[in-house]
Amino acid sequence: MRATIARRLGRLVTGVTISALAFTGCAGTSGAPNTSGATAGGSTSAGTSGGPKELLTLGVTADIEGWDPGVQPGYQGWAAEAVWDRLVYCDSTGGIEPAMLEDWEINDDRTAITGQLREGMEFTDGGAVDAASIEAAVKHMETTPQAPDYAGVVVTAESDSITLTWPEPQPIIANKACNLIISSPEQLESGEFTDQPVGSGPYVLDVGNTTRGSQYAFTKNPDHWNAAHYPFERLVVKVIESETAAVSALKTGQIDASLIPSNAVKEAETSNLDVLNFQGQTTRLIISDRTGKVEPALGDKRVRQAMNMVFDKEAMVQALYLGNAEPTAQVFRKGSDAYIEGLEDPYPFDVEKAKQLMSEAGYADGFELELPTMEGQNHETLMPYVTQQLAEINITVKQVPLSGANAISDLLSGKFPVVLWQLGNLGDSTYQIYVEATPEGWWDLQHEPDQFVGTRWDKLQTASDEEARTLEQEINRYLVDEAWFAPMVYMGTSFAFHSDKLSIPTQSDPEALTPKLRDFQ
Amino acid sequence: MINTFVWTLFRTLGVLLVVTAVVFALMYGNGEGIARSVVGFRSTDEGVMIKMVELGLDRPLLTQFWDWGTGAARGDLGRSFYTGQSVAEALSQRVPVTLSVIIPALLLTAVISVLLGVWAAVKGGVVDRIVQFLSIGGTAVPAFIVAIALVFAFAIQWRVFPATGYVKFGENPMMWLASIALPMIALLIGSVASAAQQFRTAVLDTLGRDYVRTLRARGVKEWQVIFQHVLRNAAAPGLTVVGLTLLNLLGGAVFIEQVFALPGIGQLAASSAKIFDVPMVMGTVLFTVLVVLIVNLATDLLITALNPKARKR
Repeated sequence: MRATIARRLGRLVTGVTISALAFTGCAGTSGAPNTSGATAGGSTSAGTSGGPKELLTLGVTADIEGWDPGVQPGYQGWAAEAVWDRLVYCDSTGGIEPAMLEDWEINDDRTAITGQLREGMEFTDGGAVDAASIEAAVKHMETTPQAPDYAGVVVTAESDSITLTWPEPQPIIANKACNLIISSPEQLESGEFTDQPVGSGPYVLDVGNTTRGSQYAFTKNPDHWNAAHYPFERLVVKVIESETAAVSALKTGQIDASLIPSNAVKEAETSNLDVLNFQGQTTRLIISDRTGKVEPALGDKRVRQAMNMVFDKEAMVQALYLGNAEPTAQVFRKGSDAYIEGLEDPYPFDVEKAKQLMSEAGYADGFELELPTMEGQNHETLMPYVTQQLAEINITVKQVPLSGANAISDLLSGKFPVVLWQLGNLGDSTYQIYVEATPEGWWDLQHEPDQFVGTRWDKLQTASDEEARTLEQEINRYLVDEAWFAPMVYMGTSFAFHSDKLSIPTQSDPEALTPKLRDFQ
Repeated sequence: MINTFVWTLFRTLGVLLVVTAVVFALMYGNGEGIARSVVGFRSTDEGVMIKMVELGLDRPLLTQFWDWGTGAARGDLGRSFYTGQSVAEALSQRVPVTLSVIIPALLLTAVISVLLGVWAAVKGGVVDRIVQFLSIGGTAVPAFIVAIALVFAFAIQWRVFPATGYVKFGENPMMWLASIALPMIALLIGSVASAAQQFRTAVLDTLGRDYVRTLRARGVKEWQVIFQHVLRNAAAPGLTVVGLTLLNLLGGAVFIEQVFALPGIGQLAASSAKIFDVPMVMGTVLFTVLVVLIVNLATDLLITALNPKARKR
């Protein structure tokens, strides 16, 4: 998941179009919510799969970036899921499901995962999937952007039992195990990833019918350990970067399923398409300069709380998200361990109270605040409102457009005390805490250690499930009380599909952005 | 004539060198940023430096440009920083798609706009006003809006043409024709609207010349006056218009390829630029610059051939 966020960020800076985050304001308003962050609109036909089906054609809004297993996105990562398998799968809450490992065990100090490798698995070039393959995969990851997740990992084997051991305890060890893509060691060694990926996944790339940048064709791998789960004999992934084109292709039946922009949901539903709405993101101000290093005023909790109180979230849902969002007072996903059920918003919309807090903090005259803007973040819609509302407490927003190759590194450099972002809320809230609230997390932009969070994070390393839930909710409550963020609304992506051709009875994406390949039936 | 050709060729190569050098400097000037994009934001500074060295981005810009330029002269435009695909291979896949759309659009633009321009200029009155009205309308509406309207009508409502995608001519000629029809029409409307106005003005200008009056006074048939004499003299501005139209079509293809999900050069340029895949971007830039220069060169030479006055310097 960590890696997928990296890829998503990569796509963000590049636009691609560009990413889930380009499809803003699309959380579900119909259907019942579940912990996966997805709700169903229309008449989703769950579990309609029967015998084998001929063809599944999926539209992706960004081209894949080649066949190096170390740079595959989790977001719309169907091509990678087709050709490669993983040690284990993560479910929508970040829990582990069996994959290449039939069973698994994580040790008490969370430094190692041990599992039984399925017998008889082979890569599509005929090579056996064994401990050496796993070791090669880990070594390869150390040369990719995911290197920090696999630094120092040692792979040991005993019979068919494989153990991956990290040098330090890993609170998010499950996530790291799930992200490990297993590819042919020969191909990894050769470094040639240009044309034909060699994996052991449920499909094989059909090079003859593939046109790079346009469409990727796959045929079913009958030798896959779970081939029966994948009903489609052929898979085609078409690159359709334009939202308009994706909707047209869906309506004319050229593709069976694709992400669509929020403003096309009604159009899709009236065109006999089913729409799954995900709430995988939380729009918020990330007030990371809580020690006042860049902007001294933000070191005062009352200023951060005042910033929370100037946003009318209900009005935002209606006016900015056209009803396709939901107000929230916390950044964590509903149903996740850290989510506090029934939490009353401690910062209801109250400009007068906000002004009073600013005055008490000695900042009645406000200050100037630099907010970075980037393509694909819905800033063109959100920024005018945020600017206007912060001006109510005399905070003058100066927008700083970020673009070019340095955009993401500038964004995450910590030079901006506050960032407005539609950031993912993850099914695995432990991971979200790691990313957003620990000094190692890339979205804790100042990387300042915090004693309260730090002590609980340390305990999380070895906590039981119940203890972990308590600890995470304590952290969440602390983040709310200390106003580390100004959460506004839950929102996300919309995924349209032809229910007469396929069903999507499960939702396995911990990021709640799109269905996984194994969800299509 | 030979001197003109040599001089024009020399000038063209100079422009090619300057444009590619400037774009290269702009694209490759931030080697560290490019490397950071490639390795991901979680990479350490050391990792970024290693990638910079691996990609050759640590070398002086002039050295990089020399290597790129000499490679390009041999047909080696490098490889994508992300996918490892050869840039030349990518261009060889993408260019035919774009040309499939813009070449027919260009030819039809030339024919239709000449006919409309002559018709409007010769008939005048209501016909002229109608042509002008259509021209202004066609120019005013952006090609991508026309494209969306065409998709709605002919792909979604009536299902005559596919909404998206491209089929190679070699695979299925009829499907190829169907796949390029709407994108080509979307580009055609704007280009005809613009070019027809230009042709009308050129023909009107020529019709007012003394020799036309003389030809008519001598009893030469009107169709001969128009098609044998007037059109020939209006050819110079007409050729310039056609040359510019090709360049406009190339620019318009960037948007049209997005709307119709065509895997052409415009889509490649846009997607590569977004992820700072600079070798790929330089490949598309080189292609575009070459097209512009070749079109200008060809236009200059044709005009020179048609009009002896243009040979004087």
